[in-house]
Amino acid sequence: MVKAGQMKIQQMAFMIVAVFFFFILVGIFFLRVQFADLQGTSAELQKEQAISSLSVIANMPELNCDSRENLCLDQDKLEVMSGEFGNKYDDFWPVSSIKVYIISTSKEIIQCPGINCNYFELFDNGQKNSEEYSTYVSVCEKRKETGYVYDNCEIAKLVVGRNINEK
Amino acid sequence: MKNKAQQEIVGFVLIVALVVVGLMVFLVITLRDTPTEKNSVEVENLLDTLMKKTTGCAISFEPQYENFQDLFKSCYKGKTCTNIEENTCQYLEKELEKTIGMLLETEATISSYQLDFLERENDGEKGILRVSEGGCNQTVSTTQKTIISGSDKLVIRMKVCKA
Repeated sequence: MVKAGQMKIQQMAFMIVAVFFFFILVGIFFLRVQFADLQGTSAELQKEQAISSLSVIANMPELNCDSRENLCLDQDKLEVMSGEFGNKYDDFWPVSSIKVYIISTSKEIIQCPGINCNYFELFDNGQKNSEEYSTYVSVCEKRKETGYVYDNCEIAKLVVGRNINEK
Repeated sequence: MKNKAQQEIVGFVLIVALVVVGLMVFLVITLRDTPTEKNSVEVENLLDTLMKKTTGCAISFEPQYENFQDLFKSCYKGKTCTNIEENTCQYLEKELEKTIGMLLETEATISSYQLDFLERENDGEKGILRVSEGGCNQTVSTTQKTIISGSDKLVIRMKVCKA
């Protein structure tokens, strides 16, 4: 009788331990899934924030085509800033590099100033420890055809490098 | 003896019930409907920039070329590009395919896209034009832009699929 009672207590103890471990395992699995999702969301949010901050660069009066236009770069300003004059701004930029690629059917990257150029390097401090973020912007220029002036806008990619330790 | 057996059965049933409830809670949490579409700043900027791009279509005279946003309105109104003598909707479809295709070539992570041009009505939305490429079973980033043409509201919705 005593043995049977001990057996039952043992059975019960085993059962309680098994149920306890089962819930612990389920809990660990659930936390892992949630935590992985959190990491993904955090990385995604960080990227979105970096892309949003690119608009600060794009909307600077040194580059933008019109203060009312968002994410619009003036091609003439880009030409000036990517030349000799741009060197004066080296200490001005709050980032490690600023590059603009005009998207065209041509696969070749030709640096501006140049004929049929499609790439402007506005600034690069040579920082190796940086991460690049990009967003689409418009690059517009005034053109004159048959006495009529109009805005010609192309799609471009603004690529900005940020020092990793500044994140 | 009979009482003890009953007690054991009740205990066993309780444990099974607990396990089942635990499993149900776990399943409900893990299989909860996760949104397949989410708004993205990246796609929003892409669509905004696309809207400003100058096209080769002039409605009234050259060189007053339309940008994509104006071209959507002209397509809705059924206008013609007089400089190339082509219907604006046909030209729009062709140019959108070409331009978006070119844009996405620079994006290694994007596998497909879909752009819908719709008219918003009181009882819903009516499709005017759809341009798409590839299929998608991954995360979809989406954005939309509403433009006004007279008293009508036109919606341009873009979805891109990240591989």
